[in-house]
Amino acid sequence: MVDVNKLREKAKEVVSRDDVRLLIGYRPGTYGFRARPAFVQGPDEADELIFTPACVNNLATYITLEEKLPVPRGQEPDLRKVAVMVKGCDSRALVQQMEEKAYDRDRILVLGIPCTGVVDMAKVEAKFPGVLQRGEIALEGDRFVLSFNGSKEEVPREELVADKCLRCRYPTPLVYDELLDEAVERFADDDYSDIAELEKRAAAEKWAYWEEKFSRCIRCYSCRNVCPMCYCEDCVLDRLQPQWMRRSVDISENTAYHVSRAYHLAGRCIQCGECQRVCPVDIPLMELNRKFYKDVEELYDYEPGTSVENPPLLSTFKVDDREDFIL
Amino acid sequence: MALKKLSKEKMGEVLGELSKFRLVAPAKSDEVVVFKQIGDPQEAFLDYGNSTVPPKKFAFPQTETLFRFMVGSPELKEKNVEEEGTTVIFGLRPCDARAMAIVDKLFSWDFDDPYYLKRRELTTLVGMACVEPPSVNCFCTSLQGSPFGTEGLDMLLTDMGDYYLVQSLTEKGEKLAETLSSQLEEAPAGDEKKAEEMARESEGRIRRSISTAGIPEKLPGLWENELWKRVSAACLGCGICTFLCPTCHCFDIQDEVDEGGEGRRCRMWDSCMFEEYTLHASGHNPRPTRRERTRNRINHKYSYYPNRFGVIACVGCGRCINLCPVNIDILDILDQVVDAQ
Repeated sequence: MVDVNKLREKAKEVVSRDDVRLLIGYRPGTYGFRARPAFVQGPDEADELIFTPACVNNLATYITLEEKLPVPRGQEPDLRKVAVMVKGCDSRALVQQMEEKAYDRDRILVLGIPCTGVVDMAKVEAKFPGVLQRGEIALEGDRFVLSFNGSKEEVPREELVADKCLRCRYPTPLVYDELLDEAVERFADDDYSDIAELEKRAAAEKWAYWEEKFSRCIRCYSCRNVCPMCYCEDCVLDRLQPQWMRRSVDISENTAYHVSRAYHLAGRCIQCGECQRVCPVDIPLMELNRKFYKDVEELYDYEPGTSVENPPLLSTFKVDDREDFIL
Repeated sequence: MALKKLSKEKMGEVLGELSKFRLVAPAKSDEVVVFKQIGDPQEAFLDYGNSTVPPKKFAFPQTETLFRFMVGSPELKEKNVEEEGTTVIFGLRPCDARAMAIVDKLFSWDFDDPYYLKRRELTTLVGMACVEPPSVNCFCTSLQGSPFGTEGLDMLLTDMGDYYLVQSLTEKGEKLAETLSSQLEEAPAGDEKKAEEMARESEGRIRRSISTAGIPEKLPGLWENELWKRVSAACLGCGICTFLCPTCHCFDIQDEVDEGGEGRRCRMWDSCMFEEYTLHASGHNPRPTRRERTRNRINHKYSYYPNRFGVIACVGCGRCINLCPVNIDILDILDQVVDAQ
């Protein structure tokens, strides 16, 4: 795992550069084992940066989420770079954004962090309920070491690691200006065993399953807002005239929302799992996204977010593309 | 008011008896606990910390039809809340009940909201004391609340081990106790004292706190303070903090018209954290970034509301902290407000 001192030194160097205005990284959270996004603008602030298995957020989201107010007359827009720390999955979001020409590669400076897996905070909190003091998590060998209240606990990696990490094909970032540690090998391949059972079910059973999940949705839109691939400036959900999708919360509108979002992510979702992580009512959104991901891989031999040179799947046509499902 | 005892074995009978009303209780949906209308008493899940979504939607539905109409016709078919019948919300936590008492002030302020107030009139709140504070981020005692608080409740149940201690707090509560008289027994002597002791112990286990003294007065002077940029930098602009807040009460009103011309006017929860919440028809947005929107959220709860109604619109349930995707922590923000120069 990347050395924190090296990380901070690098961050200081980066934010001191004339062509960099901001570095997005992680800092300790306010309680328990949490970490949170950090926005570093000067070398002094770099000392708060960390990178631990608690750094779950996909910071690529902030590249497109940043709000820009109109530049006052007579002033020039600030075109300096934004530096961002990325894990393997986060880097795939950058790749996909760049494939889609969301912004110029020159606009960002990427600090790659080879990732040995992040924790699933729900698993951590189930194992250590009620930890209030800021705690730390590190990976040592095949065990997570959790330090809190002056004591240390060791837990086998498999018990706390996020499910997505166990099938991660790209733990080392796929795009970076500088890699802050040695590249790491993939841990396992993705066999899609987690969605196999759902795929086999009859349509009526699938509907009953999703009806129960979607009926819980409160339409807080955290899944959309956290998603690095949901960066449209004008979202169909926010349109009132014409109103494409109603704000009413019922099974029909909720389903329309989630199915539309899954379709918009087909061939684009980069498997960071943030939508499912943030959902306050535990809707297993990645099951939908992973079904599409699997189909795209099988039908078109395409994995989103793996090569900047790749054109986006849905803007390409190959003569040997499958079309047996088209009437 | 007389204290009663409800044996845990009789809980099924009690919920069965209450099923003659619209009975709302915590229930499990996968691992998520939500309040829902239950038909079968078996569905109730009372061994819970707190619900993810507060039960506010049973007073203030997330989507509510106000009236129906036909395009081109002057006739309106208005909503009759009374048709929903008498409701019992069973097993809610004291913070959520107190939140309803706080929100009542808004809905009966310059205009009496007929839908909300009628529904509140028809609803009896049966609380469940927090023998154990439900989450690490509970801070109700900083906001004049308590794990055993009774404000807003009609009846309070305290888990005494083998049985619940039942305390009727209002006329509605007394009436409910009468309905349940065949299931209730006389409470053992000394239970009142024992419950008071349990309350003190539970309060002692709350580990997060903030001194709110001076915050409502200080906030207006921090309008342009750089703290707002700092605390909102990570904000995603989603609505979790407001939708899961038991005191947040903002709504939008929209008309939904089907192709045949049948329509309804309805109101639905809205969130001040959403970009289009303050978007004017002109295209101007007075809260153009998440900095202004975060500032508004804190000011609304900790300045505007207490200035207007004499009470802070936060009950310290901790949901906005527990579930924020990026660890924006209202106690951290308030600490920075206290420290700001």
